[in-house]
Amino acid sequence: MTRLLRFLWVPVFFSALCAHAEPYLAVQMGLKCGQCHVNPTGGGERTAFGNIFAQTQLAATRLDTGSDVWTGQVMKFLSIGGDVRFDATYSQVPHASSTDDFEVQQGRVYASANVIPERFYVYVDEQVAPGGALNREAYGVYWSANHDWYIKAGQMYLPFGFRLQDQSAFVQQISGINMTTPDQGLEFGFEHGNWDAQVAASNGTAGGPETDHGKQYSAQLQYVMSRWRFGVAGNFNDASAGSKSASGLFAGLRTGPISWLGEVDVVDDRSTPTLSGRQLATLLEANWRIAQGHNLKLTDEYLDPNRSVANDAETRYSLVYEMTPIQYVQIRAGFRWSDGIPQDPAEHLKTGFVELHGFF
Amino acid sequence: MSPRGFPFVAGSLALALSACAGNGMGLDANGNPITAGGGSTGPLTADFKSIQDNVFTPICTKCHIGAGAPEGLQLDQTHSYAMLVGVPSAEQPNVLRVAAGDPDSSYIVLKLQGSAGISGARMPFGGPYLPQSTIDVIRQWISAGAANSTSATNAATAKAAQRFTVTASSPDPDSIATTVPNIVVAFSSDVDPNLLNATMVSLEKLDASNMDSTEPMPMSPMPMSPVPAGAASRSVAITLAVPHGDGTALLITPRTLLSSGTYRLTIRGNFADMNAQALGADYVLKFTVEAP
Repeated sequence: MTRLLRFLWVPVFFSALCAHAEPYLAVQMGLKCGQCHVNPTGGGERTAFGNIFAQTQLAATRLDTGSDVWTGQVMKFLSIGGDVRFDATYSQVPHASSTDDFEVQQGRVYASANVIPERFYVYVDEQVAPGGALNREAYGVYWSANHDWYIKAGQMYLPFGFRLQDQSAFVQQISGINMTTPDQGLEFGFEHGNWDAQVAASNGTAGGPETDHGKQYSAQLQYVMSRWRFGVAGNFNDASAGSKSASGLFAGLRTGPISWLGEVDVVDDRSTPTLSGRQLATLLEANWRIAQGHNLKLTDEYLDPNRSVANDAETRYSLVYEMTPIQYVQIRAGFRWSDGIPQDPAEHLKTGFVELHGFF
Repeated sequence: MSPRGFPFVAGSLALALSACAGNGMGLDANGNPITAGGGSTGPLTADFKSIQDNVFTPICTKCHIGAGAPEGLQLDQTHSYAMLVGVPSAEQPNVLRVAAGDPDSSYIVLKLQGSAGISGARMPFGGPYLPQSTIDVIRQWISAGAANSTSATNAATAKAAQRFTVTASSPDPDSIATTVPNIVVAFSSDVDPNLLNATMVSLEKLDASNMDSTEPMPMSPMPMSPVPAGAASRSVAITLAVPHGDGTALLITPRTLLSSGTYRLTIRGNFADMNAQALGADYVLKFTVEAP
C-alpha cells in the first residue's frame, strides 16, 4: 500500500465510513449526502472522499493500482466523474408480447471547476447517452467560509425527499421531482451539526420554457444521526393554470446490517382538471448488506393516484441484488412486479433486468 | 446470512405484501370512475381521441401532467393537442413535437422509437416501450395531418347538423376589382389549420394575354380543376393563413401583386374543418383584376 493511499484511507476508517450515490449508503454510514458527492444534496460527481470509499468500502475486492489512486481530480482545480449503466431488460405486460432488449440506460459525465478552492465552484452534469447530449445540471455554488451555508444558482435538481437511483419510483413520479426534471433557479442551503436544510425558488417548468410569472418553491429539513435520520420536505408550484403542492416525510434507520428507507409523499395538483384529488405515494426499502460488496435490496411501493376514488391503488415490489466485485464496477440484477387495476395492463408490468454499472 | 437479517427481511416481506392494489371496481381503463355513457376507450385507431384515450392518458400522464410536467409537456386530455401539434420540443427547439404530415420529423415519434439524435431517454421513461404497432398508429395519425378529433368528438352533437361550407368570400364570385392584395374566404366553422398547404388551396391566372408576367410558372404536379377550353392557366404563389382570432376564415395572400387578368381560386373538396367535416366538392372562386 502506498503512502498516498494510506493517507486517503484514514478519513474513511476514522469517520465510521461514508456515503455513496444511493441514499441507503448514506443511511448505512450515518453521513450526509454531501460527504461523498460534490452536490450537497447528493447525486452526480463524487468527492475525493466518495471515490476513496468506492475503492475501499463499497467493492468486495480492491484491485491494487499501486500509487495511481483515482480521486476524481484531473488537474489542480478541475475534477470529473461519470456513470454508465448498461441494461439487459425483460418486460412482460398482459395481453402483449414480451420484450427483451439491451440498452444504454444512462451515460453521464460530471465536471466541476473549483475556481476558488473550498469557496466557489462551477458544476456541470451532462447526460451523453442514450441519444444526444442533454444538460441536466449547470450551476455555480458559493460556500461560506466555515461551510455552514451555501448559495447555488443555475439549473439543478430540486431538494425533495430521498434522491433515489430509481427515477421511476412512485414517490419520485407523483412529486415530479427527480433526476430527470431539473429546474432553473436558486437554492440556499444550511448545514450545521446534525441539521441539513435547503430552500429553493425555481421556474417550476421542469426543464421546459417558463410560461408564466408563478414560481416553484421547495424546502427540505433533515436531521441526521449516525443510526437514523428524519426529514420533512415541501414543494409549491404556483403555475398559471393552477397550483401543485407536495409534502413529504422521509426517514432512514440502520439496524445491524439492514438499512431502512421510508418516504411518504402527498401531492395536491390543481393545475389540471384531470386530477381532481390528492395523490399518495409511499416507499419502504430494506437494504441488507450481506457482506462487503454485496447488497440485497427489497422495495415496497404504494400509489393511490386519487384519494377520492376507491379501488384505484397501485403497488410495485422490487428485489434487486447488487454486487460490486471490484472498485467502480457494479452488477445489479433484479425483478420488479407491479399490480394495479385489472383494466389497465400497464399496471401489471413485470420486469427483470441485469445491469452493468460503471462509475468513477 | 446474518441471524439478524432474517427478522428484518421477513418483516419487510410481510409489510410489502400487506399493501394491496385496487380491484378496479367501478373504474374505467384509466382508473377514473365510470360515468353514464362512459367507461370504454375503444380500440386504438389513427385519430387523436383514440390515441389520447389509449396511449397518452393511461401511459404518458403518469408523469406528463400538471405543473412541473417534464419539459413542460402536459399530455392530459385538456392540454395534449395544444402542446404537441406544431410546438417546438423543449429538448430540441428546432424540431416540432408533432410536425403535421411528417412523422419522421416529429420529435414525439423519435422519442417513442428511441431514434438516434434524440436528447435524453427513450419514452415512456424506463419502459416498457410502446409496441411498434402502436407507434405506427401515431405515425399514421401524423401522416394524415394530425387532426384534433377530440374537439370533433366533443362538438359532434352540436356540429352534426351543420355542414362545412363556404359562407362568404372577398372578392365576391365573378367580381371585378382594381387591386386584390389578398383573398378572404369565410367558412361555416373553424378550419383545420393543419390542412393549409398547396395541395388543398391553389390560385391560378386564367388570362392567356398575361403570359409575359413575372409570376412563377406552375410547379405543383397535382391535378387541377378542369380549365375552360382555350384558356391557359398558371399557378400563382400564395401564402395561406388563418387570421388570428377568427378560426372560420382563410386568408390567401399572393406573394406578388396580382396583375390584370382573371383568376381562379380552388379549394379542394377534402379541405375540412376542425370536426373533420370536409367540403365534399371543390370550391371555385373566379374574379377579375383590372387596371384602374
